[in-house]
Amino acid sequence: MIVEERSLRAGAESGPVAAPDQIDLGRDRDLRGRGKDVWIRRSLMALVAVVPILGLFNLFGQRPTTSKAAVPAATLSVYAPTRLRGGLLWQGRFHITAHREIKNAILVLSTGWAEGMSINTIEPSPTGEASKNGKLEFTLGHIPRDRSFILYMQFQVNPTNVGHRSRSTWLYDGETELAAVHQKVTIFP
Amino acid sequence: MDLAIRALVLYAFVFILTRVVGRRELSSLQPFDLILLIVLGDSIQQGLTQDDYSITGALIVVGTIAVLQVATSYVSFRVPLLRPVLDGQPIVVVEDGKPIQKNLHRERISVEELTEEMRLQQIASIEEVQWAVLETSGAISFIKKTDS
Repeated sequence: MIVEERSLRAGAESGPVAAPDQIDLGRDRDLRGRGKDVWIRRSLMALVAVVPILGLFNLFGQRPTTSKAAVPAATLSVYAPTRLRGGLLWQGRFHITAHREIKNAILVLSTGWAEGMSINTIEPSPTGEASKNGKLEFTLGHIPRDRSFILYMQFQVNPTNVGHRSRSTWLYDGETELAAVHQKVTIFP
Repeated sequence: MDLAIRALVLYAFVFILTRVVGRRELSSLQPFDLILLIVLGDSIQQGLTQDDYSITGALIVVGTIAVLQVATSYVSFRVPLLRPVLDGQPIVVVEDGKPIQKNLHRERISVEELTEEMRLQQIASIEEVQWAVLETSGAISFIKKTDS
């Protein structure tokens, strides 16, 4: 009972000196009705902590993954991240292994590769660059049987380039399509 | 538009963060805390404007944050029901010379930290304190006993 009386509203007598103005002893000392506050706070803190944990599991990029297409003529392997964030520098690596002679290897990239990206460099430089019905076409030239060709492309994500889109890569020998790799890319703000 | 949305999202995130990390962490400025605050500000800035160095960009970001800050303050003033959520509530941590352990524990304040705060306010002994209140700002206010 004494405790109940001491827990009166602001200005109430509590022992030798009254509680300061606007201090409600029930609420601010005994924390009545505030029991759940600490759990809300802990839950929100847990939510905040979940973000970096998800980041560790590559939810927000930029760990590269390998996508492969293997056909009797060649294997096309694309090593690039599929989850990116605004401003990131990243690399796409295109590994072509010829199982037979490819007379005129041409790599074709869909617009998803270049949309909202800065292409910083392409190494080794293709012998020719063109547009193939709106797609990027890189002429790589002759690849002898059982030999590899690796093309490196360095990109940077435009910070306003946010969203989810498809990204495809095709390997041609002249006009003949040999292999295709289809991916989806997600860009986080 | 992008900058305004970025500013809005980061404002909300920092607001929630400041409400959940505990007020003592925010009010105490030990050397490490100071460095941490600078790092926090720098990290936020990078996400906020990224490669935009324009005056227009700065105007948009600063304007958005200013409007959000005034709006939050206005809502807190006009809607008393939301005040505990937006501003928090004080907690009594000492009564009649005795620390209230439950409340100190809840706010992760040790008795050593409490006595350090007392010394900063020229109070030598906890026996002299009638009330100590952890304010919503994170500061601890002390009210001495009338006869001390």
